Amino acid sequence: MASPAQQLPPGWAAEWDPANQRYLFIETASGHRQWEPPAMVPAAPADLVTSGSPPPTHHAKRRQYAAGQTHAYYGDAVAPDPNYGAMQPPPPAGGQLFTPGLAAENQFAQQQQPPQPYYGQPQPAPEYGNVPAYGPGPTAVGGGAVNALADQFGQMGMGGQKQFQLYTTNLLTSPPDPRELLQPPPEIRLPPNACISPSPHANAHPSYQRSTLNAIPTTSSLLNKAKVPLGLILTPYRSLDEGEEPVPVVTDTVIARCRRCRTYINPYVQFIDGGNRWRCCMCNMSNEVPQLFDWDQVRNQPGDRWSRAELNHAVVEFVAPTEYMVRPPQPAVYVFLIDVSHAAVQSGMVATATRTILENLDRIPDEDGRTKISIICYDTSLYFFSIPPGSADSTMLVVADVEDVFLPKPTDLLVNLVECRQSLETLLGRINGMFQDNMTVGSAMGPALQAGFKLMSHIGGKITVLSSSLPSVGQGALKNREDSKILGTSKESGLLQAASPFYKTFAIECSRAQVSVDMFLFSAAYQDVASLACLPHYTSGQTYYYPGFNAAKSEDAIKFAREFGDVLAMPIMLEAVMRVRASRGLRMASFHGNFFVRSTDLLAMPAVPQDQSYAIEIQIEETITTPFVVLQTAVLHTTCYGERRIRVITLALPTTSNLSEVFASADQVAIATLLANKAVERSLTHKLEDSRDHIFAKLVEVLTTYKTSMTAAGSGASAQLAISENLKMLPVLVLGLLKNVGIRQSAQIPPDIRAYSQALLTSLPSQLLIPYIYPNFYSLHNMPPDAGTVGEQGVIMPPPLPLTSERMERHGLYLIEDGQTMFLWIGRDAVPQLVADVFGLPNYEALRGGKTTLPVIDTPISQRISAVIQKTREMRRGVYYPHLYIVKEDGEQPLRLWALSALVQDRADVLPSYQQFIQTLKDKVNGVGSY
Amino acid sequence: MGGAGWLFLFAVLMAAALLFTSVFFIIMFSDLECDYINPIDLCNKLNQFVLPENGAHAFLTVLFLLSGQWIAFGLNLPLVVFNALKIQKNNHMFDATEIFRNIPDHKRESFIKLGFYLLSFFYYLYRMIVALIAESE
Ligand SMILES: [Zn+2]
Repeated sequence: MASPAQQLPPGWAAEWDPANQRYLFIETASGHRQWEPPAMVPAAPADLVTSGSPPPTHHAKRRQYAAGQTHAYYGDAVAPDPNYGAMQPPPPAGGQLFTPGLAAENQFAQQQQPPQPYYGQPQPAPEYGNVPAYGPGPTAVGGGAVNALADQFGQMGMGGQKQFQLYTTNLLTSPPDPRELLQPPPEIRLPPNACISPSPHANAHPSYQRSTLNAIPTTSSLLNKAKVPLGLILTPYRSLDEGEEPVPVVTDTVIARCRRCRTYINPYVQFIDGGNRWRCCMCNMSNEVPQLFDWDQVRNQPGDRWSRAELNHAVVEFVAPTEYMVRPPQPAVYVFLIDVSHAAVQSGMVATATRTILENLDRIPDEDGRTKISIICYDTSLYFFSIPPGSADSTMLVVADVEDVFLPKPTDLLVNLVECRQSLETLLGRINGMFQDNMTVGSAMGPALQAGFKLMSHIGGKITVLSSSLPSVGQGALKNREDSKILGTSKESGLLQAASPFYKTFAIECSRAQVSVDMFLFSAAYQDVASLACLPHYTSGQTYYYPGFNAAKSEDAIKFAREFGDVLAMPIMLEAVMRVRASRGLRMASFHGNFFVRSTDLLAMPAVPQDQSYAIEIQIEETITTPFVVLQTAVLHTTCYGERRIRVITLALPTTSNLSEVFASADQVAIATLLANKAVERSLTHKLEDSRDHIFAKLVEVLTTYKTSMTAAGSGASAQLAISENLKMLPVLVLGLLKNVGIRQSAQIPPDIRAYSQALLTSLPSQLLIPYIYPNFYSLHNMPPDAGTVGEQGVIMPPPLPLTSERMERHGLYLIEDGQTMFLWIGRDAVPQLVADVFGLPNYEALRGGKTTLPVIDTPISQRISAVIQKTREMRRGVYYPHLYIVKEDGEQPLRLWALSALVQDRADVLPSYQQFIQTLKDKVNGVGSY
Repeated sequence: MGGAGWLFLFAVLMAAALLFTSVFFIIMFSDLECDYINPIDLCNKLNQFVLPENGAHAFLTVLFLLSGQWIAFGLNLPLVVFNALKIQKNNHMFDATEIFRNIPDHKRESFIKLGFYLLSFFYYLYRMIVALIAESE
């Protein structure tokens, strides 16, 4: 099929008409339609579009790459190496691999209207790969964005509050561009003088806290009209970017809080009465300024109020005085429960785990020398290790009675890391040997958990469970309930719920005693991840899953050791409670994430790991009369070095009574994150199908409202599918979510894999979640010459491609990654030179698919690809170290399908392609069909 | 006093007791919403009453069946089936981890039961009086 759209003059669009099997040409300005192609224009259309109107920056650029594809193989663009792929002309787009969508992607190539610049300000196309995904930290890397923001603030002081400009785009003619996802969310435009600080850090960075709407509707009827869900996505304890300033700490224990609503003082309060009182930004209460507020306790002299951290920073930590403690700060406690049954030892899990703990003993947080450690091994019995202080040796104590668990010794089981370092090291070195020939099959995980709990419940801390088998004896024993017959049916969601009440009641006990549980699961067989993940879910822990772990494969061992090591080294917030306060009129309605809801608005989190994300749905209870609202998250916690602290994160957002502003301020990334949380919740309370229908209906509602209230079409039918520019990626994100393993319609997904995926969907911060539902896709064999080399801001990434196999050439090499897994896809006609340079093998046939580590070869392309892969593994927060799989185009079917399932814009079985999805959306929005 | 009289006297007392449990449930849910009680204690407390309440109601219904009081039996049967289904699906107990998400549903259920017991109370009272009058005539 020739691609007529490529040759269209500007102002024309081509649409494939499946009924007539030919292209329909539409003059977009007038709506005129004709079958004959319009008169050709000799020059490249992209150039024409550029003149006169704002340049469609990235689209033009993308076409440029497409044109240059045949030349720019790698490195040397001037003298292209003819060896790679040039043996064969690139096949026509589409149709070669996987069932692509109905119409060629090319139909989109012609922009109907030049895209409007983002929010009225011409911005340069983002330097892809140099902008860290979603998280341009307030310092260093994000400099550009912050400066732009600061400029805005500067201008605002003069001209008053600027309105959000709404730019409508037609989804039928503008394909999703992955780069849009790297744009910062719609800018927060506060009214002048809302903030008392000129600091660029006075409002929370989206990586800490972001709202689905950056302009809050003043009434609930306006919110209901807009249909966009209102919610808050927060990652209060996110890790710092490299070079980022640590969170400022207020050490003088002068904590100014509102008497009525207990809000912490922040940059959005007002000082009144000559500075002696301050007016609360949430409830308007006038409060006294504490006496020592203006006193510099370090130098013992009057201080400058305006330089106080809590008045200049949206993210700040207070050192808490004793009123905030129910007991003296606890030490950090780590209890390891290691499965030493036959399967666990044989898979090499025990050896890898003990070695990793041993190697990371120095990294376990222990600044104050109080950290305590205990190791309990279990199969169908429990094995305790008694380490008397000062002794260089340990004694093993076996408890075979797992029905009524008791501790064999009152002391020396939970020991101080520093005092018993020597014997711990010896012990860790010996455990694998001790159980080398263990033939016991079965797992007393429940009793082991109870024992670990007994050991530490008077202090609190973290239990880390490493398990290779389904719990089979004692409390919490589970049955294999995997039944392939009910997969894909309405009963499937039952498999995603806890099978035994033990995992909920024990989780509650843990939460009460400030104990958090982390699960590391390794089984090749059914392990009931859904039940086991309950413990981390309600105790603010995290589940990690390594299905079919085999340490004999170095990739498996490296991945687990890296991730486990990082988890061990991670600083944690102990004994934490979190509360989100908001201006009058707003109410936190429901909570999603790993915690226990202890009262209507108090979230109990025994040990908060870094980079765990939570979502809160917000209701508008009464009409908001203020020009802006404030949402403040406070996490009262004990640091792992024994200091009681309060982390406070303040986000101020303008309010609006204008529907178009509500749309223009919507943050598609935050909405997708909230929808992922809601979808998982619904799949548990209802059915998987209901959950898919629910988020799809949500999207239809948004699009319908947009059409009826924001476009000329009103309630009539429309040939367009309109949405605002800032929500352009929402449909494809929803499609990605509908196709995610955790939600997808399929009768082939094992319940364990689904449950793990759901655990990820509800705990990953947006930065990791977005690639997880909308993966990144790069072409490597023809990446631009600078990609994979080190630029000013680290390794430069190739431009991301839309997720469709139409982009694949038979001789190509591609990287598909979702933050959890990476696929290196190689086409069947890959030239031997490419295979030799990247993999060190003579030809394509010699290459084997599967988990792999790329060999280090001294060729430029190999080094650049390694750099890209390395950067992919490092550029996001979190401990995840994705596996790399080589996928051959004609290789093993399951692996191929797995890799191709990441290309969410393609059709797969019953799941629609992006074009089909958009078409269905259009029909629904126009009232055709029912849902 | 004959059989029917005694039966409905007993039913009146039972309905009053069930009425009180419903009121108790509703008060406890309001306490939870006002943060006077934490969800764990609330669930521990309420869960003690769930099965006795269902059992008492089922017992009363069986008495109606045995004594051939078809109207009273028919009125109570739907609630017995509803309770039995919940027990069969194993979601009759209150779950502390989900309580805040489900509290509107729980409250609604308690209010409906409250209304039902109230109406039954008056109905049994009426039937008791009718039985007594019939006897004295
Ligand atoms: Zn206040």
